[in-house]
Order: sequence, then C-alpha cells, then structure tokens
Amino acid sequence: MKKVFVVLVVAALMLSMAACGQQQTAAPQTAAPATAAPATAAPATPAPAGKPYIAIISKGFQHKFWQTVKAGSDDAAAKLNVDITFEGPPSESDIQIQVDMVNAALAKNPAALCLAALDTKSLNEQLQACVDKGIPVIGFDSGVPNPPAGSIKSTASTNNEAAGAVAADEMFKVIKDAVSAATTAKPVKVAVVSQDATSASITGRTTGFVNEMLKKCEEVQPGKVAVTGHTSWAKASSSGETAVEITVTIAASTSVPDCQAACQAVLQTNPLGVFCTNSGTVDGMLAATSDGSDLDRATGKYKNLPVIGFDSGSSLLNAIKKKWFYGAITQDPYMIGYDAVDLAVKVLNGEKVPEIVDTGCHFYNDQNMNDPDIAKLLYE
Amino acid sequence: MEVKKDYLSTRKQFDKTKLLAPAFMVVLFVIGLFQSGFTFIVNSLDASYFIGYMAIGVTFVIITAGIDLSLGTNLICAAIIGGYAYNALHLPMVWCLLIVVAIGTTLGFLNGLMVAYLKLPPFIATLGMMMIGMGLGAIVTNVTTERYPTFGSPGAEFKTIFYKTTADSPLGAGIPLGAFWLSLFFIISMVLLNKTKFGRYTYAIGSNIEAARLSGIKTRPWLTAVYTFCGFCSGLAGVMYAAVYTSIIPSTGNGFELLGIAGAVIGGTSLMGGLGTIPGTMIGVFIMSFLKQVLFGWGFQPHVQTFISGIVVILAVLLDQWRIKQSTKVRKV
Repeated sequence: MKKVFVVLVVAALMLSMAACGQQQTAAPQTAAPATAAPATAAPATPAPAGKPYIAIISKGFQHKFWQTVKAGSDDAAAKLNVDITFEGPPSESDIQIQVDMVNAALAKNPAALCLAALDTKSLNEQLQACVDKGIPVIGFDSGVPNPPAGSIKSTASTNNEAAGAVAADEMFKVIKDAVSAATTAKPVKVAVVSQDATSASITGRTTGFVNEMLKKCEEVQPGKVAVTGHTSWAKASSSGETAVEITVTIAASTSVPDCQAACQAVLQTNPLGVFCTNSGTVDGMLAATSDGSDLDRATGKYKNLPVIGFDSGSSLLNAIKKKWFYGAITQDPYMIGYDAVDLAVKVLNGEKVPEIVDTGCHFYNDQNMNDPDIAKLLYE
Repeated sequence: MEVKKDYLSTRKQFDKTKLLAPAFMVVLFVIGLFQSGFTFIVNSLDASYFIGYMAIGVTFVIITAGIDLSLGTNLICAAIIGGYAYNALHLPMVWCLLIVVAIGTTLGFLNGLMVAYLKLPPFIATLGMMMIGMGLGAIVTNVTTERYPTFGSPGAEFKTIFYKTTADSPLGAGIPLGAFWLSLFFIISMVLLNKTKFGRYTYAIGSNIEAARLSGIKTRPWLTAVYTFCGFCSGLAGVMYAAVYTSIIPSTGNGFELLGIAGAVIGGTSLMGGLGTIPGTMIGVFIMSFLKQVLFGWGFQPHVQTFISGIVVILAVLLDQWRIKQSTKVRKV
C-alpha cells in the first residue's frame, strides 16, 4: 500500500516538473512542432505531386549556431518552394542518435538529403542506400568527410583553412614587432587552443592558422620557427634553432571544464597571442580569464595578450565589445543553411554544381561588430 | 607481552600508510607552487569548486553503500533551468540561484524515494535519473545554451560573492572567495557526518542496513535524507558551475559525477559502504586537480593528463584495499 503511494508521489512530482517545463517553454516550443509537422505529413503526400521534400540533418541543435543555419534553410525553402525538415542530435557526441535520425528521414523517401555528419563511418550504410535509391546528398557545415563514392553531390561549408588563415593574419598584425624581436635566447610563443583533433572543421582551422602563422613568422624570422604541442602539427624549425614557437594544445574533451584547463595551461606559458578555434574553447578561455575580465586592456592580468575567438555567443560578444578579446572569426551560418537547400534544389533540377561552395567567413572586432552585414551573423 | 608489542608496531605501520594520500597531495602542491605560484592555487581552485561539492555529497551516498550517477546531469539540469529562469523569465538572480538549489535537492529526493522505498538498486535508480535530468534540462530550455551574466554585467554580483572578487571589491581583485564557501561547506558537512545522528546513521546504514533497521533506525527516511542531501550538494555545485563556467550547454554533464566519485574513492571512501571521510574526499579532489595542473606545468598534452589521472584512481584504490587488509590483520592479532 505504502509502495503504491510512493510510486504515485514520484510520478506526480516528475509530471509536475515536466509540466512546469512545458508551460515555461510554451512560446519557444511552438517552433519545434512546426518543424516536426511537415516531417510526419511528408510521407502522406507523395513527393512528386507536391513540393519536393528535403530532409536536413545537422550536427546539433543546442548551439545557437544551428538555429541560424536553420533560419537560412527556412528562408531558402520558402523562396525555392520546397518542404524541409531540420533536425539534429542533442549533442555533437550523439553519433547513434544522428544515425537513427538519418534512418528515420530515409524512411520518408526524401527527394534529397542535406547532412552534416558527426561520423562518416557510422553513416556509410545509409549513404550507400542513398546512392542506390538515387537520393542526392548535400553536405553542409563540416559536411561528410571521406564519403562513399558518388553519394555526396556538393558541400556548402566554410573553408576552415581559409578561416584559420584569416585569424593568423589578423593576429600577426599586432604581434609582428614582438615576433621580429624574438631571439633564440628569448624565444616567443604563439598558441592555438583546439578541440578534438579528428573533427575536420576544427582541424582545418588549426591547420590554416598554423600554416599561415608559420609563413608570416618565417618572413621575419627565417628558419627559426617551430611548431610544437600536439604531434599532428609538430614540425621542427628548418635551422634547428627556435626563436618562435607555434604551440597547438588540444583540450582533453569537449566539456567546458576541460577546455578551461587547456586554456589555463596555455596562459601560463606567456604566449604572444592565442587563437581559440571554436565556441567550446572560447568558453574555456572565458572561464580561465574570469569571463574575459583578466584580459582587460587597462587592469587585466593578461592585458597585453591578444586572443582571437571563433563564432559568437553573448559572452564572447561581450568580451569583444569590452576589447577583452581582440576579435573573432565568424562563419556565415545563415549562408550555410541557405546554400545547402539551394544546392539540393539545383541538383534536383539537374543543374551542375561545384564540389564545394565556400560560404565565407568574416573577422570582426569591437569596431565592425555592429555593421549590419556582420551583425546578422552574430548571435547572442 | 610479545603480542602487545607486535600489535603496537603494526598499528604504527597503519598510521603511516594513512598519511600517503595527504603526503602525495602536499608533494603535488609544492611542485605546483614552484611551477607557477599563486596562479597554480587559483587555477586548481577554479577547476575544483563544482567537483568539491559533488564529491562531498556523493561521499555520504557511497558510505551508505549506494551510488549517485545522476549528480553530473542533475547539476547541469539545475543550472540550465536557473539560467533559463534568468534569461527567459527575467526572475531576479537570487531567485534563479534558489531554483538551481531547489531543483538539485528535488532530484536528489526523488533518487532517495526510489532507492529507499521502491528498493531500486541505487545504480539503476540514479542511472534513470541521470537521463531524466539530462532530458528535463533540454526540454525546459528547448535545447538552447543558457549563459549566465558575465563579470561586470548586471546580475553577475553572485559571481563576485561565490567565485572571485573583481577590481571594485574592498578585498581587491581576484580573491578566490569560492575557497571560503567550499571550506565552510567542508566544515559543515564534516560536523554533519561525524557529530550528528544523520552522520552516525549514514555509517550504520552502510555497514549493515539490516542491523541498522533491527537496532531501531528508521532506515528508509534516513536513506532518503542522504540522497536528498546529495541532491542539495549537486544544486550547490550547479551554482558554482554557473559562476565559473557561465555557459551551460544542454545535454551535457554526464561524466562529471565520475569526477566527484573519483575524488571520494581516492580519498578512501569504500564502494562497499560504511567507510569514508570528508577530509579524505577533499584530499582526493585536490589530488586530481593539483595533478592536472602539475602535468600541464610539465607541458603534457591534456589527453595524457586524463590518462595519468586514470592510473592515479586505480593506484589509490589498490592502496586503500591494501591498507584495509593491513588493518584487518591487526584485528586478527
């Protein structure tokens, strides 16, 4: 009897909590059913007769980045007169959930599939099924690296190496004198903090930054620049002597505490500048510097240290507004979403499309962050 | 005569082994100080606040021979709903922080009901709660990252109280006040575990729940109270997490509980129940965070540091088992 009572109490408490949640989110939740509705409706209406149905599966949903991608896709769908569904797993480590989502999408026989794969290998079978069924797949964001032959028609993505190179160019402007003044006796460091050495987009940014920085530094310190840290990028200087060290640190996991730990470690080496390659490492850097206030130009503990971030988010924007961060690179999430749908429609219409469409990136700082062209790409 | 002498010498040996973990912590601390001085202390503290609260809470639960796997996601769930209350519902920060603690406590209470009254194995009950916490946070926020106000913005005063001071504080900038609160909570929970009925019953339940029941302890309400306290700790950990890390990402947090459990276990808390102390747990937590900083100071990449932390956990438990063996040997004599 008592047991039954306890079961009821537990159930009631849980329900009431869930109910609170539902009630509180009444407004934003209307967005979710709206996207879910066409998904359930799609199989009922045969594709050829109505609008073509394009399934979009992203790498996430939680980062506001994906919401901006979704906005681009929605606009493209409205303009090009197609039906879309936009889904993504709750976190970027949920490979299994993404596989389930792709399976569910394929069961609805979409005209095309837009995909940002978390892990290509685990989707191999599904991609092969797309080839067999003649469903064109368009990659977006980090795309689908090393896909089965013939499955990926085109990819809409930021050229991450170019984005990393932009960061290196911007940083070099402020550290050029210090780099020139470095000697073998008094070497200097330039640091990159990154995540997950296997994710193509983040690896690309790291590589782009390291290569460009190496090139720039070699111009003023020929033969004396070395790349150290993570072994994927490590490279000894050509003369054997080192005056400039470009150090790559990869956080132990994608959690904010682990990113913070990596940033703390980097800050202790007194680098000339730090590049954080994604929003996770930016969060880590903010946590390691008291929300960025330790980087304050007048009073901060690291007042002479330029830090360049990636993407946006309210805390990064705040840090840039206050000049704590030197600036950041933003991708164009809106264009990523827009171009993905646009490319899918072009393929469906039999048009020829390039293998990769660069959706661009922009450097922003406290000077230009309010320009309309930039502001629309930034999110709180 | 001979026996007594033998007893004494073994006894002495036992005390020495007890000092191994604190000694290891001190060694790491000294190395760290030489590497980077005050920064070392601040960095170690920053990274261990939320782990400290979780570890204290889970120590109580592990002493009852239970486990709480839901700590990590509960803290994120509590913190993210608090952030939602601030960002979307525009409640005053004080209310939001109270919500964080209340949600942590409620989830802990539910764990307690399931374990004590429904007789679910703690592993299963809290495993389920882990998923519930993760899902609940994501449902309420509609899977969006909630960011707490940053230093200097309105609403961020709680950071200067619970985390560290800013330049405009009368104490000066960068004083890690979080250490004060953690020490305070450390003392309170030590008193709770050693000097109160609650603490004595916690040990009694862990040593032998049936014996405890037969000796007149109402084991079910007390066991529920232990899990509720652990939930309360995860709420406090949520507040500290929000203060230090600002960004609360939905559907994260699983794995954090293991940091707390590792701290407790390194500190000599036995998963078989009945054994464990709060100072031991704190030593365990700081061994982990000092080790992390020291390895960074030596220039190891982060993944190597995780690897070495794993070895330390295993060695610590092996050492502990050996120590207990020694002490039971004494009893045989």
